[in-house]
Amino acid sequence: MSKNEEGSVMIKITDMEKFYRTEEVETIALNKLSIHVKTGEFVAIMGPSGCGKSTLLNILGMLDDPDEGSYIFNGIEVAHFTERKRADLRKHNIGFVFQSFNLIDELTVFENVELPLIYTGVPSSERVKRVEEVLDKMQIMHRRNHYPQQLSGGQQQRVAIARAVVNKPKLILADEPTGNLDSTNGNDVMELLTDLNEQGTTIVMVTHSEHDARYSHRIIRLLDGQAVVENIMI
Amino acid sequence: MIRNYIKTAFRNLWRHKAFSVINITGLSVALGSCMLILLYTMDEVSYDRFNLNKDKIYRLVSTSTGPTGEVSKTASTGMMPGPAFKQQIPEIENFVRLQENSFIVKRGNDVFNQDALYADESFFSIFSFPTLRGDPKTALKDIHSVVLSEEVAEKYFGKQDAVGRVLDLKVNDAFQPFTVSAVVKQSPQNSSVKIKMLVPMKFAQSQFNDTQWFNFFLNTFFTVKPGSNLKAVEAKINSVFNRDAAAQQKEMAQKYGFKDKVKFSLQPLLQMHTSTDYPSDNGLKDASNPVYSYILTGIAVFILLIACINFINLTVARSLKRAKEIGIRKVVGGMRGQLVMQFLGESFILSFIAFLLAILLVQLALPVFNDLANKALAFSYLLSPKLVIGYIAIFLLTGLLAGFYPALVLSGFNPVQTLYNRQYFAGKNYLSKGLVVLQFTLATFFIISTITIYSQFNYLMHFDLGYDAKNVVSVNAAGAADEQKLELFKTELLKNTGIKSVTADQGGRWGTIAHINNGQQTNFDIKHIDEEYLSLFKIPIVKGRNFSKDMVSDSSNSVLVNETFAKQAGWRNPIGQVVDFFYSNKKYNVIGVVKDYHFASLSEKIGPELFSMNPKYPYGNIYIKISAKNSAEALNYIEKEFRQIFPFKPYQHTFIEAQNAENYDKEAKWKQIVTFSALLTIFISCIGLFGLAALSAERRKKEIGIRKVLGASVEGIVRKLSTDFLKLVIISSVVAIPAAWWAMHKWLENYPYRIKINSWIFLLAAALVMLIALVTVSFQSIRAALRNPVNSLRSE
Repeated sequence: MSKNEEGSVMIKITDMEKFYRTEEVETIALNKLSIHVKTGEFVAIMGPSGCGKSTLLNILGMLDDPDEGSYIFNGIEVAHFTERKRADLRKHNIGFVFQSFNLIDELTVFENVELPLIYTGVPSSERVKRVEEVLDKMQIMHRRNHYPQQLSGGQQQRVAIARAVVNKPKLILADEPTGNLDSTNGNDVMELLTDLNEQGTTIVMVTHSEHDARYSHRIIRLLDGQAVVENIMI
Repeated sequence: MIRNYIKTAFRNLWRHKAFSVINITGLSVALGSCMLILLYTMDEVSYDRFNLNKDKIYRLVSTSTGPTGEVSKTASTGMMPGPAFKQQIPEIENFVRLQENSFIVKRGNDVFNQDALYADESFFSIFSFPTLRGDPKTALKDIHSVVLSEEVAEKYFGKQDAVGRVLDLKVNDAFQPFTVSAVVKQSPQNSSVKIKMLVPMKFAQSQFNDTQWFNFFLNTFFTVKPGSNLKAVEAKINSVFNRDAAAQQKEMAQKYGFKDKVKFSLQPLLQMHTSTDYPSDNGLKDASNPVYSYILTGIAVFILLIACINFINLTVARSLKRAKEIGIRKVVGGMRGQLVMQFLGESFILSFIAFLLAILLVQLALPVFNDLANKALAFSYLLSPKLVIGYIAIFLLTGLLAGFYPALVLSGFNPVQTLYNRQYFAGKNYLSKGLVVLQFTLATFFIISTITIYSQFNYLMHFDLGYDAKNVVSVNAAGAADEQKLELFKTELLKNTGIKSVTADQGGRWGTIAHINNGQQTNFDIKHIDEEYLSLFKIPIVKGRNFSKDMVSDSSNSVLVNETFAKQAGWRNPIGQVVDFFYSNKKYNVIGVVKDYHFASLSEKIGPELFSMNPKYPYGNIYIKISAKNSAEALNYIEKEFRQIFPFKPYQHTFIEAQNAENYDKEAKWKQIVTFSALLTIFISCIGLFGLAALSAERRKKEIGIRKVLGASVEGIVRKLSTDFLKLVIISSVVAIPAAWWAMHKWLENYPYRIKINSWIFLLAAALVMLIALVTVSFQSIRAALRNPVNSLRSE
């Protein structure tokens, strides 16, 4: 694991706190959590339901902001960035993969994958080239003009991964990427993520599955918003 | 990026067809209404603008202030002011006088009534009416020349060139030849001056040379030199008048007791069409009250507002379905501004489709609208650049009005919540509910207005006028029936069994002044009738007696008065009282009192009226009571006899009941306009409610499933779902009722004879709206309640 040990720190979270408040109850989602992820690492986050895994992933993805603590991404403190700045940083650096795929039903496979390139202002001819390239790589090219509802779960997740990587992000955040898939399709997805990681993309994956977690280099186990154990995969 | 937005928008529209149809229907109807009203308003403000001299043409108008301070306004003058002011005031370039008249025209054996205007020679140098043939500079120079519109020229001369040909016009009792000197194009529909036939003013003067400053019967227009100080010109006008008319004023005061102070002013031509103080009358056409524009604009804005509310409510209610898309777009880098633009774009696309449909609707609805609004608007007017700009503005406003709020709400969704299905509308949705209340308030308001206007109209139409007009035909003898001819006509008519009785009056409405009670001046309506008049119309005599042919003095010095006359005169015993027509030095004795009846329209209270049977006045209208049976035969008989006894008189007949109904044309039009508005608002509101109910049922699918599993009945669920909406409709009624009461109260104040606004009107309107809303909502509620709970729970 010399590559990981040598890599610089991409994510550094220190004493992070996140609360959810309603009128009557305050729930602590993250409780003085401190973790780091190095560039090129493949980290799995595990823990029981409600332990703060998804909250952590959303904060890492800059979809949400912490109440307390520091979040340094590639050397920049982003914990209290404005929404606009976060969106800007996100679209150039981070790709997302969700359990429920989250494709836009009204757009075709091609158009779904093209979407991040549109928002980053990539010219049209360049977009076609890059989308075709990534669809080819995900072996979903033959479905380029289909709508999401015309695809199987495995195919939909491939499209979602294609969309996550088309902008060549430095970091992929995957939230239970195999949760809605059978084991064969699940394994395929994990192989794809592993390939991406081997090509240099940092991956942080939330999972319930010990099997999937074994694809990672390191497992961070959370309980009640705190990291309780770290396992390094050998 | 824009291509992506457009693609998503169209696919969304296509996938949610029901909502697209609701929105597009509502918006297209609303935009169509707005386009029509804009067309109407533009037409109103475009009146007379085609005249090249539009900015320097003024009409001479005046106010008369009586000794007790009462003010009357008139836009009429006599023949004197035009030439006098032009001659003495250097700022006045030119003048033209226009006087309304009607001629009998003979072509071969046919005779026609022809509306005409007397006009000075300067007419064509002041107004811009292009001539098709003939020289406009000399067209009115010859005293026996006429100018015809192309339409009238064709009526008399067919396709042949009319210029140089002769038209016989009846002057006094003989036909005189007039030569057609020019043919003009049909007058623009937005012109207050409508040319059918122009006859030189010189000819009118040859018949009656008016030298009286205090006559008011024609329109005088001036062109004023550009840059003149209008106030100074008006001051000069009044000083010339005060000097030149001084002698006549003194004489008027001595002879007739006329002590009014007359003050002239200048009304700009472009203000004439919509002026309520000095309307376009006395031969000028299409006088309009700007209040119509305001009301119509208000209605259009309300309809547009209701349609936009549908869009807002349906889009926001449907937003949960789009929440995921918003989340994804944000996650992959979409900024809020970009999303706002996307959703606004969608509302613009929808508005644009609605806009295209609206153009189609306008084309279809234009004939009906023209009829309602008394206009002759053509579809081609829509292409005028100002209107196109107006339409684009309305389109942009609609897109923005409908799209802005949903765009703001939708783009503000938190992606974390939407992507993890945590997005709820936990709030009370006060805005959405408030908008539904607003919609139904407007709908209820229009329904109450409709019912009130219908009731008032019905009341006026069935009002007991105090006389029997049933089966009474009026034939216009145009002043040609003297006593002998009338007798002959009567005798011939009564030979037919279908004709019951015949009478006549002088035609038109006349008023005059006289002295009563030894010098007390009084104004009243005067009617010359014959002895059959009161009995034919079944108007009772309450005191004294009717005119009688057997009493010679009845035709020379007896009069009848109505109850109001006697009451205003303060006569306890009217019989034998004297009415002194001081200006003609003639005194009449009152021989009877006629029960009050509505001799004018119901827009006036009954005023004092006096009847005489003076044979020196010819009769203008002949009234014939026919039996209900064989009326067609009776009418043929009347026409045949009329043509024999009154040759060279155009025959025209109308039923008095139909003539009376024409008095309420305006109310009939408003009845139609408000009914249309009510139908449109309730329709658009209901399709919106239908959509909201569908979305609500969809959103509460799981709740309904659980309730059913736990034992709720279908009726219970329908009630639960429907009650929420009905509550809003009830609130709407509570808001609409006082507003409608106030507005209708104000409207009814225009009528001296009016209905009382009863509570049943409000209850009926509220019940009607409730019923329509209930039917609309129940359809969705029943569908939702009948759904198999297994399916709805499984999909969760």
